[in-house]
Amino acid sequence: MFRKLTTAAAALVVTVGLAACGSSDSGSSSSGSAAAGGSGGGGGTIAVITVDPSNPYWKAEVDTAVAEAKKLGYETTVDAHGNDADKQNQFIDGAISKKVKAIILDPAGADESVGAVKKATDAGIPVFLVNAEIADQGIAKSQIVSNNAQGATLGAQAWVESVGEKGEYVELFGNPTDNNAQVRSDGYTEVISQYPDLKLVQKETANWDRAEGKAKMEIMLRAHPNIVGVVSGNDEMALGAIQALKDAGKLDQVKVLGFDGNQDAANAVKAGEMVATVLQPIVQGTTLAVQQADAFLKDGKTGASTEKQAIDCVLITKDNVDTLDNFVLSE
Amino acid sequence: MSDTLAPPRETRPAATPPPAGRFRKPNWNALLVEGRALIALAIIVVIFASLSPNFLDPSNLILMTRHVAMNAILAIGMLMVILNGGIDLSVGSTVGVTGVIAGYLLQGWDMPLTQLVAYPPVWVVIAASVLIGALVGWVNGVLVSKLNVAPFIATLGMLYVARGIALLITNGETFTKLQGEEGLGNTGFITALASAPLGIPMPVWFMVAFAVVFSLLLNRTAFGRWLYATGGNERAAELSGVPVKRVQTIVYVLSGLCAATVGLLLTADLPAATPRAGEFYELNAIAAVVIGGAALSGGRGTIRGTLIGAFVIGFLVDGLVLVGVSVFWQQVIKGAVIILAVAVDQLQQSLQKRRALRRVAAATNRPGAPRPA
Repeated sequence: MFRKLTTAAAALVVTVGLAACGSSDSGSSSSGSAAAGGSGGGGGTIAVITVDPSNPYWKAEVDTAVAEAKKLGYETTVDAHGNDADKQNQFIDGAISKKVKAIILDPAGADESVGAVKKATDAGIPVFLVNAEIADQGIAKSQIVSNNAQGATLGAQAWVESVGEKGEYVELFGNPTDNNAQVRSDGYTEVISQYPDLKLVQKETANWDRAEGKAKMEIMLRAHPNIVGVVSGNDEMALGAIQALKDAGKLDQVKVLGFDGNQDAANAVKAGEMVATVLQPIVQGTTLAVQQADAFLKDGKTGASTEKQAIDCVLITKDNVDTLDNFVLSE
Repeated sequence: MSDTLAPPRETRPAATPPPAGRFRKPNWNALLVEGRALIALAIIVVIFASLSPNFLDPSNLILMTRHVAMNAILAIGMLMVILNGGIDLSVGSTVGVTGVIAGYLLQGWDMPLTQLVAYPPVWVVIAASVLIGALVGWVNGVLVSKLNVAPFIATLGMLYVARGIALLITNGETFTKLQGEEGLGNTGFITALASAPLGIPMPVWFMVAFAVVFSLLLNRTAFGRWLYATGGNERAAELSGVPVKRVQTIVYVLSGLCAATVGLLLTADLPAATPRAGEFYELNAIAAVVIGGAALSGGRGTIRGTLIGAFVIGFLVDGLVLVGVSVFWQQVIKGAVIILAVAVDQLQQSLQKRRALRRVAAATNRPGAPRPA
């Protein structure tokens, strides 16, 4: 029995040790910027509920929300629902029982999230949505989204310009259950369909993922060796496609378009491997959401004229990529 | 239960050719079992070859085999665990964490308690990742064998723990500077693992090597016999002196080693170490093992079958993309093939069992034979 216990203890130590070796550089991403003095105001806790901080995009969202809240004098808790509406519900329940002052939420699905937002609002906690919207209005205090359709249009125009209005191309589609995947794809199609000589020969999903983007691209290159372009629903899939094209020695003939504006994509644009990417103003939108929460807590008004607010995306090309740093474009 | 105690048919050395110069009557029954996955593979190849002229192109076959190799290596490790009657759900996360460790070390390791940044040479990076993979497996093994945690639960927990560690190490970011620097002496990671000696990609070489080594392990060593025995009937194996607990721990370590290898190969292939790498890979590995004729209850399964299973899944997935089947149908078809393959397997086994029973009945009913009371 004793030996059993020691082995188990050793196993546990190993696990914890592994975790510790990783956490050295992770800082305080989990929770509670303890009682930041900040600039006086507010006080209390704001719950930040996001999707998946392992993606640099959402990580920027969380970091921004936490930093801005701290600046305005709030503590924060951070949870991630991974687009799972049940988990989102649990986090909302948790936030209600903790009696937080406000909730900053990146919702898990437009329809699925209505109930969760309503529950919090009924409990007297104002909810501010960032990045994605819900199906109903009048429940959340504000819904701040980036204008994906406009962004896709921008990207597609730049891509057409560089491809040259003629040839076969393929599309990498995001996770099919994610609303943004469809919106972006529609935006691309809307622009590109105006050029009848640009022909979409295949559309594959790679679930936002780099490795899958590469594998799918490798096979699609077999079926369509003469493509001149790739449009991708996000940067990660685009980066996978770029690697596949590099391996096949075809990057010169194929123009790749990304979406999100993450750091790796910025580097690829800089190196001339990616034609363009579209920066979602996630930092701007999240900052705005926290500021509106603060304003609402102080005098009952968000200060914005409408609940739904769409922030335009920005096109990132070789011309302005140098001013992009971690989702923020400095002027 | 007791019928699995006898060494099952599949434990015969998988790759032994019939003795030269002597004609042996083929064992049709065994051929059919082995051949079932092979028939599925043949059907897939014929269908896709007729639909796409590119399918049988040698360079396309090499490409698809490279995709297959990653899953096949994972599946070989998974087979060890499944032969033991367990399951390893943590392999996908282990792929992620080992790849990230490699990426982290190649970018430069901020040594704790010092201001120094270490740039370990590539062989150290590889060794460290493999060691971590083995360690993850060992923890799984200890949980299962010493603490009697159900394999499904232990490895499900490890799925989250390992993924979480990968996220902690990267802080959610992706490591892309893997080529190393000449001055630091840590170049060569990508060439070592993502080149293609003799035109065959590295992952394929690894798949072949793993298949050979694990085949020998299963068929030529005491460990192999123990493994089949513990999977067939653990209590009986224990009574006949098999170190059941040790075998149980080792299979998870082996699975961890396989996952670490895939983690390294995938990282070099991208080339990027992302904390999300390997998500859901465990499911494809399990599917390959099962299509290859292994029983989830343990004690039955071969390396050869598992490899064929991996080819069935890989060729199917790539073939569907190659001929341009719509995304949603791809998933439906993949699922249907897995179910069909296993359903046929079950049917065949119940037929065989019935035939065996009938033979026993016929023998005992012989005139003059002692009748059962």
